[in-house]
Amino acid sequence: MVEAVGQRVECQWCHGQNTVDAQSCATCGAPLDVRNLVSDSGWREAPRLRDMTEFHFGSSACQVEGELVPVAEITLSPQDGVFFEHHVMLWKDQTVPVGVMPLQGMMKRSFAGMPHIVTTARGPGRIAFSRDATGELVVLPLHPSMELDAREHAFLLASHTIQYSYTRIQGMRTALFGGQGMFMDRFIAAGQPGLLILHGYGNVFERTLAAGQSILLEPGAYLYKDSSVQMAVESQKLTTGLFGGTGLHMVRMTGPGRLGIQSMYVHHATE
Amino acid sequence: MASNPPPPPGQGSPNWGSPANPTQPPGQGAPNWGTPAGPTPPGQVNQGWSPPPGSQPPPQPGMPFAPPGMPLAPPQPAPSMAQPPAPSPAPAGSYTCAWCGMSSQNPGGSCPSCGAPVDIRAIQDTSGWTQLPAVKDMARIQFGQSTCQIAGTVVPVADVTLDGGESVFFMHHTLLFRDDGVKVDTLKLRGGWSRMLAGMPLVMVQASGKGHIAFSHDAAGEIVALPIQVGSGVEVREHTMLIASGATAYDWVMSGIYFTTLKGQNEQETHYPMGQFLDRFTAPRSPGLVLLHAKGNAFVRRLGPGETILIKPTALLYKDLSVSMHLHFEHPAGAYRSWRSWGNRYLWLRCIGPGRVAVESAFVPVEDPGLDLMGSSPATRQQW
Repeated sequence: MVEAVGQRVECQWCHGQNTVDAQSCATCGAPLDVRNLVSDSGWREAPRLRDMTEFHFGSSACQVEGELVPVAEITLSPQDGVFFEHHVMLWKDQTVPVGVMPLQGMMKRSFAGMPHIVTTARGPGRIAFSRDATGELVVLPLHPSMELDAREHAFLLASHTIQYSYTRIQGMRTALFGGQGMFMDRFIAAGQPGLLILHGYGNVFERTLAAGQSILLEPGAYLYKDSSVQMAVESQKLTTGLFGGTGLHMVRMTGPGRLGIQSMYVHHATE
Repeated sequence: MASNPPPPPGQGSPNWGSPANPTQPPGQGAPNWGTPAGPTPPGQVNQGWSPPPGSQPPPQPGMPFAPPGMPLAPPQPAPSMAQPPAPSPAPAGSYTCAWCGMSSQNPGGSCPSCGAPVDIRAIQDTSGWTQLPAVKDMARIQFGQSTCQIAGTVVPVADVTLDGGESVFFMHHTLLFRDDGVKVDTLKLRGGWSRMLAGMPLVMVQASGKGHIAFSHDAAGEIVALPIQVGSGVEVREHTMLIASGATAYDWVMSGIYFTTLKGQNEQETHYPMGQFLDRFTAPRSPGLVLLHAKGNAFVRRLGPGETILIKPTALLYKDLSVSMHLHFEHPAGAYRSWRSWGNRYLWLRCIGPGRVAVESAFVPVEDPGLDLMGSSPATRQQW
């Protein structure tokens, strides 16, 4: 998972630069001594972070603990902060102050089943987060001008330099059968880099689609995508004679951009 | 369904190990409530049952289910079927997989038939269970000219590359992604009404063409690859199948495992502790491949002729056709019992060899309301 660049090695997951003796990437925690695992169909496994791996953002650090349902333990410096959905908080130092991020469209978020409240925490101190099922953490450093969409309830935390909003899913059919609901979370790195950590259920795979290239996905498998990737639902009728049959709904994702999927997904009823 | 009220304690006609009252008309035997079991010696299994007059034979695969209320019936032997081939010594220079028994030449890092790694010994515990060797990440399994690559280790994905000549079939909700070149259509199944009533998927989907198509289940576990040799087959608990190759013949059969309890004053409720049906896969003309998803870890055991093992009904992953099974009720010593309840009892599936039996470690607890037992499929009982 490395590429030597002079006296530095480049992480193939996030393209961060590391010293030649580093065992894991200082920016995303990906192991540097493990080769990329790419399937015949072109999906790359997200790097499985080693237990107790540590990486940095701003002047703060994140340590990943555990392998089945990993925990992200953040050591916040006084200059940094993170935001998150409040129910993913595992523990925190008593001295870490928490607040609420002002959001627009509370009524819409309420109707769409998205969290009403996004909580913030500031340094100094420690705070830890985890989700509620077997899976892996996907560490996505965002560089300025990058925009990334994630399915709702997939994000674990993001650094305070990331702008958070939500985007409405276009098309009634896509909203009804796309498995995301009405909205997706959108994360934007406007002026300075930031860090986004998602929790994917099961294993996570990523693929970069070329412009115009497309693939059909089970709606529940979608985890994240660059905002340049377009999504639209396609339906197929599967008939069973007297019993009528069922509809098979899949999401067509069209590049250019990155696309991430999770292998343990919630199957949204297609019947 | 109406039934008689329970008799006073001590006056019942328990069917645990004794024939039903022969003086009663056929089909009107007393229910199985009443006194505790007869004098089964502690530590011994009661198998000496003879069928009551007028009782129905146990359900056979593909036949309609017998009505509830049927008293305990004797276990029946498995239908005469070809036993799965045991691993045989391989010719010089070839490799025989300890897991699936298939031979191959120069297998590389993993068996091309089932994906099991070649560089580890079978992990067998002292009781004889062999742990399924976890398929290595990105290992490939060959079937015909097509391949299946196993990607991931927590909730692994079966990423199939169809070359145009083969097909696979699957339950539609396991589909993860596919290329445009792969076409999907409905696979016709018999007994749609029965499948619907039993909660089994009504639609089985077949994929053909050229390109990639991938599948995964919805729980942490392992993918178990089962190459099916011509003339052999396996029976699989419902909802565990991931995919099967087009050369594999698919059918579904009655599990024949049920028991009934009293619900309210005069109603009976039928319970299917391992589901009403089993999926059956055979290879009539050419070798086939079946992939299962086991929740947790998977373990397999090869039973000798007549050898038995008790497993939890919901833990069964698959079994060879030659393995017969029936219910087994176990009552621990010193458990509280009354005329209204059989007290504490453990429900088991008793598997009888010869053949393979596989279990998964993350299984759903068996649903047993613990109420009066009115009848069951063929069963044995043990009182400690």
